[in-house]
Order: sequence, then structure tokens, then C-alpha cells
Amino acid sequence: MTKLLIDRQLPSSESIATRRNFNAILDGLPKKKTINSPWFYGAIGFSTVFLLILLNFFI
Amino acid sequence: MSASLLYFDRFGKPEDELAIIERAKRNPEHFAPLYKKYHEAIFKYVIKRVDEEESAYDITSCVFIKALTNLPKYEYRGIPFSSWLFRIAKSELYQSFRDKKAQRTVSIDSMQLGKVMEEFQLDESEHKRDVLLKVLPLLKESQLQLIEMRFFEKRSFREMGEILELTENNAKVKTFRALIKLKELYAKHNNQK
Repeated sequence: MTKLLIDRQLPSSESIATRRNFNAILDGLPKKKTINSPWFYGAIGFSTVFLLILLNFFI
Repeated sequence: MSASLLYFDRFGKPEDELAIIERAKRNPEHFAPLYKKYHEAIFKYVIKRVDEEESAYDITSCVFIKALTNLPKYEYRGIPFSSWLFRIAKSELYQSFRDKKAQRTVSIDSMQLGKVMEEFQLDESEHKRDVLLKVLPLLKESQLQLIEMRFFEKRSFREMGEILELTENNAKVKTFRALIKLKELYAKHNNQK
């Protein structure tokens, strides 16, 4: 049920400004992936990553 | 001064904002001036619709996080950036009501209620005011938000249309219909007394 509030005292502009926090907004953004999928680097990049994994396995 | 000029005076020229938006698409840190500019307007829009101040601050933060996340998709098509933010605020509010994180509230100023009574050609007696307040929540949500924006927030039909994704004319027609519905509900409840 909708509530009606008559002559409600809203916070002042000064008090609203004190709650402004742009860093919190930036922190709330979804984090970008720092490690890309091997496909991101293309065929040569993928082969290199694959070779490195193979070498790592055999050495 | 015309309503549209007043509207643009309120939120500045769109060209200045577009340059900031383009920079913010590449680096979110450039969004800071727009956050500073619109934080209060969005907070006030939200707090008038929820009962708790802390919920209003939380929802306002969610609006800006969502705006920044979706900023790469934003394209200027003649609708001010402020209206795009209000649309996000509207959607975040309804999500909070669905999740029961906030209670739907309508904040009414006695003076603005007087304007609705004038529209109904009613004198401002205590009884008539009480009947009107009793029937307001009986309107459909879509109708209530039109009355709320037009009479309690004094928005132009143009701005209402941009926020509610309607044409200016459609906003006008729907507000008129909402008023008729309110009048009907008023008459019904007033006769019951």
C-alpha cells in the first residue's frame, strides 16, 4: 500500500552534498577482467600460450 | 521564459555534457562532474518516493553505478542526459519496491495539494482534503506517478514524457485521464460519507 507523507521535511542541499561519494560509485562498478582468454590474443598468441603450457608440462 | 528554456536552464546545455559523457565512456573517473551535478536531483526524486532516508541514499548510489556501467550504451537522441538518469532511477525504485527494500511513498506538500483541489474546483476544507488523500493511493501506479510528477513535483509534460518514455502529448493525455479517474474516485468516496 502506498504511503502518503504530508509536508515532509527533506534533507537540506548541504546535508545531501555531504553524502556525495564518487569514489564509492567507482568502487561499486563491476571489475574488469584482468586476464584475457587465450583467444583474445589471436591464433599466434593462442599458439604461444599453448606452447608455453606444453613446455611447462614436459620440463 | 518558456517551460522548455527553464528546463534546459535547470540542467545546462546538452553539448557540454556530451563531451563529458564521451570522456567518461573511456575513463569512468571523468564522470565526476556529472555525478556532482545530478546527485541532488536524483536523490530528491528518489527520497520523495521512499519512506527511509538511508534507502534513498542507497538507491541513489545504485542509480549512478548503473548509469556508469551502462554509459557506453548511451547515445544522445535529443533526450537530455538528466532524463536518462531519471529513467534509471525509476527502474531502480521499482526494483526496490519489488524486492521489498523500500516502501512506496508519495511526499505531498500541502500547498501542492491545494493545486489539485483547485483543479477539482474544491474549496480547501479539512474533510475534502482528507477524502482526496484517502483516494490518491487508490489510483493505479502509472496514474499516481503522473499526478505526482505534474502536481507535486511541478514537472513539464515534456520532461514527464522523457522520463516515462512517452511523447509530450501522450503524457498530457494520460495525466488528464488520471485526473478524471481521481475525480471519479473522489466523488464516489465523498458520496459515501
